[in-house]
Amino acid sequence: MTRYLLKRIFYMILTLFIVATVTFFLMKMMPGSPYANEAKMTMTQRHIMDQQYGLNKPVWQQYLIYIFGMLHGDFGTSFQYSNQPVSALIGARLGASVQLGLQALILGVVVGVIIGAIAAMKQGTWADSTATVFSIIGKSVPNFVLAVLLQYYIGLKLGWFPIAGWGQFSQTILPTIALAVGPLAETARFIRTSMVDTLSSDYIELGKAKGLSRMEVIRKHAMRNSLIPLVTLIGPYAVALMTGSMVIENIFNVPGIGEQFVKSILTNDYPTIMGITMVYCFGLVVVLLITDIVYGLIDPRIRLDESEA
Amino acid sequence: MKLTKLFAAGATALASAAVLAACGNNNSSSSANKKTLNWEESAEIPTMDLSKAIDATSFNQLNNVMEGLYRLGKNSKVENGVASKTQVSKDGKTWTFTLRNSKWSDGTPVTAKDFVYSWRRTVDPKTASQYSYLFEGIHNADKITAGKAAVNTLGVKAEGNNKLVVSLDKRIPYFKLLMGFPLFFPQQEKAVEKYGSKYGTASKYMVYNGPFKQTGWTGSNLSWNLKKNNNYWDKNAVKLDTIHYSVQKTPSTAYNLYQSNKIDAVALDAQQTKNLKHQNGFTLRPGSSTFYLQYNQKNKNLQNANLRRAISLSINRKALTNALGGANKPASSLTSTGLTKVEGQDFADKTKDTDYSQYNPAKAKKLFAQALKELGTKSVSFTILSDDTDAGQKTTETLQSQIEETLKGAKVSVQNLPFKTRLSRSTAGNFDIVVTGWGADFADPISFDDLFTSKNAQNNGKWANSEYDKLIAASKAATNDESRFNDLVKAEKILLKDQGITPLYYQTTAWLVRPSVKGIVYNAAGANYNFKGAYVSGN
Repeated sequence: MTRYLLKRIFYMILTLFIVATVTFFLMKMMPGSPYANEAKMTMTQRHIMDQQYGLNKPVWQQYLIYIFGMLHGDFGTSFQYSNQPVSALIGARLGASVQLGLQALILGVVVGVIIGAIAAMKQGTWADSTATVFSIIGKSVPNFVLAVLLQYYIGLKLGWFPIAGWGQFSQTILPTIALAVGPLAETARFIRTSMVDTLSSDYIELGKAKGLSRMEVIRKHAMRNSLIPLVTLIGPYAVALMTGSMVIENIFNVPGIGEQFVKSILTNDYPTIMGITMVYCFGLVVVLLITDIVYGLIDPRIRLDESEA
Repeated sequence: MKLTKLFAAGATALASAAVLAACGNNNSSSSANKKTLNWEESAEIPTMDLSKAIDATSFNQLNNVMEGLYRLGKNSKVENGVASKTQVSKDGKTWTFTLRNSKWSDGTPVTAKDFVYSWRRTVDPKTASQYSYLFEGIHNADKITAGKAAVNTLGVKAEGNNKLVVSLDKRIPYFKLLMGFPLFFPQQEKAVEKYGSKYGTASKYMVYNGPFKQTGWTGSNLSWNLKKNNNYWDKNAVKLDTIHYSVQKTPSTAYNLYQSNKIDAVALDAQQTKNLKHQNGFTLRPGSSTFYLQYNQKNKNLQNANLRRAISLSINRKALTNALGGANKPASSLTSTGLTKVEGQDFADKTKDTDYSQYNPAKAKKLFAQALKELGTKSVSFTILSDDTDAGQKTTETLQSQIEETLKGAKVSVQNLPFKTRLSRSTAGNFDIVVTGWGADFADPISFDDLFTSKNAQNNGKWANSEYDKLIAASKAATNDESRFNDLVKAEKILLKDQGITPLYYQTTAWLVRPSVKGIVYNAAGANYNFKGAYVSGN
């Protein structure tokens, strides 16, 4: 296990390094300068500015300087936000995105599992059909459409929850629901299919034959086995929810990281682009690692380290 | 598996959500307070360091928490700020300002040295100000920004605490307007030194001398407050206690908040502008921006003035602004409307070109035939370049269909690129026709007319006309406003007659502002908002 972990961590670092390198050079290929007032500056002025920011150096030198800084935990200072260190900028913004993403993930998966399980147990009844219709709608309606509807009807017309903003828990509810519906629908469909399969397998029949009650069979055997494949889904959900909530963040005025990222690309804010890319990338590799470990723990058939097999 | 636990956790989360939500609902409706204004900004504040500010959000903040020699009132009218008296030498090159006794928010006096320090800091190449070009004309400013002269050679000096003397290399007709622009406001050396690289990166790393003080801005957050500054010299004129700002990026959200009384003003998008036109509080805010076409003079066909005229005459600007939606206005001059008034008349009305900058398909066809004859060809083709924004795409689509419909034999292709890419193409002269927008920094037509002198860096198409250059130079040397504005009008008429550029539309934004909010000063150019005398009246 330790050897496996060390190996995985080595690959993680390698991945991060490659991503940093590729991003850096791709980014340098984008036309234009990082100066927001570029349209009004003369060439002479730009040269002076380039000198101030070290942008007149050859790209490979800039690259070495950047990598060296990053190794010391220095992501540089933002161009859009004058004098703000990128690490502070990300730090201030990441929290909201992570909180929103986690809340949506928990809500989506928990409710999704419940609905999926009920649908599977009541297979073929009105409950099943309702769940299916709900899932299809949930999966096919884009979350920003839902967000606007929730905001208008629940926020403005009914006034149950704040229309927008961040800081109080009540303000997180509507964006959480809007974000959660996609994973919720997907989880529900997934669990239903997986559980219907499990319910028709031999060992369930055996359990019933042994005289176990229906609830016991479902709780001890069917549910447990249906949940295993879900672990593979949760990893990508987590990443997608934390990184992909840009539109929802904008609609509900959530001070998240998604919009910062897009803005930094549009304005050629090099240090911020690199910083956020690396944070995303780090989040992704860590989540993948955790998923693999958890997968191995809950399903003994999967071995993490071949040498132990 | 611990499914029961998972259920339990989920149930707890949902239950607590419901409880907390119920709590959260109780504290609402802050706009009941008449001394509070809830305003929206379209973007986060990039910086409060005035030497580094470059955008509307920062300038709007600075204009309300700081004060320069002057403060710009309604219609960019110059009113005394920190300066109580101004003396100008006969040649217009030496300005002596007498400063009133006023204080920073920390209680220390605002002195002439604070201005000297601030100006030197901005032009210092080490500060890397992107706006330092506005100092051009102040003695030695250009040399200093280029690193060719010492910072202390800048033409500004303090004589005692209350006298500021500025020497110019040449007369600057719009100098007073500049003094009302945040870039020329004072900075306290003690604060800049104390906070170092943190200066201007959060509310607490600043010191203020304007009508308000900022609180609660942490660097990139989406809401903050301006509180009345009790150390402000004219605090009795300040009526509001608090301006609560929130950043609104989605127009529908902002409008929902407006309807539920959470904010008092909202900028409208194209659809909302159409729907809410007759709503009480509908307000048009002219920007100081004009959008126009630049023609690349290296393109053989586009060198032909009649072709350029034909293109301009085939553009139905009313239909274009309809396609764009919103409140934009068809343009027939380079200088934007609402920028400045000369003898009671909008400058843009004086330069308005009815010959070639308005839709006239019959005339367009005639001139197009003539152009083809002069060029010795049966057809011309060119590409129109613009941004890949919604507005950029609608503009190119509309122009393409309008021009091809009127001018049979013109083959128009379009290209929409991201802003930065489009900009580098423009600068490199790598285009046939490019859609460009320009916003004036101060309320004077020279900020537009200077663009198309033959050597100007912004003249991307390299249109050149010696008479135009002469008139612009003459306007800068003119000693009275009348002859100066005459020169500028003449120059702009030459530009439009030749269609060196083709005006398309003036940018205007529609807002809903709660009718009970009064006394706001809005100016199209420079820092837009001045809330010094704003108040909320009772119903």
